[in-house]
Amino acid sequence: MSRIDPTVKKETGYIAGWVLLLSAVMELVFLLTGHMDYTVPLGNLLGGGAAILNFFLMGWTIQRAVGLEEKAASAKLKLSQMLRMLMLIVICCVGIALNCFQTVAVIVPLFFPRIAVAFRPLFDKKNGQTAAEGKDDVKID
Amino acid sequence: MELAIGIILAGCAIGAGLALIAGIGPGIGEGNAVAKACEAIGRQPECKSAVTSTMIMGCAIAETTGLYGLVIGILLIFVAPNLFVNILLNAIG
Repeated sequence: MSRIDPTVKKETGYIAGWVLLLSAVMELVFLLTGHMDYTVPLGNLLGGGAAILNFFLMGWTIQRAVGLEEKAASAKLKLSQMLRMLMLIVICCVGIALNCFQTVAVIVPLFFPRIAVAFRPLFDKKNGQTAAEGKDDVKID
Repeated sequence: MELAIGIILAGCAIGAGLALIAGIGPGIGEGNAVAKACEAIGRQPECKSAVTSTMIMGCAIAETTGLYGLVIGILLIFVAPNLFVNILLNAIG
């Protein structure tokens, strides 16, 4: 296993944070609607874990692919995407087939990384503005 | 009656198969994106971190399309047949 790039670690950490936050919100919704039982946290753990693992594997594959030839990199990503999709199919089937997992709590966390990415520009904009302000300060000094 | 249930089950299975075709697109898209990223990093190696970061986020977005298809397919296989058969049975009485 090759060394994991700091960029991949950083982005996976960002996604994991959002998945945890949104999982808490989802469990709160289950609690408020009166559907909360032990199957919800278990399903959430399975779905959230799958979402984070899927994102990490994607980042890791990209990290390894950027050093290759264009065609080899493209083929590597296609293969990786297919295998990760199979992994998600298996996880979804397990989550639906076994009664100890709540079906909705398994499936919904798979979309949390998309929500996290949608909120990303807000933080980037904030950081960009801070950096620009810093540069201006340097110029003035 | 059996024919109607058979048609429902066949429709659900065919629909699930068609929905999972959506899984092909993200693979092709991600492959093209990473190929272009390799080209960009080859031109400007100092931008590797920024390009990788942007590409990971872009691939996460592309991947969601496949997930929509996956979820629809799974719902059609596991949830829809019982639902439609119950609707049929209630309609017949």
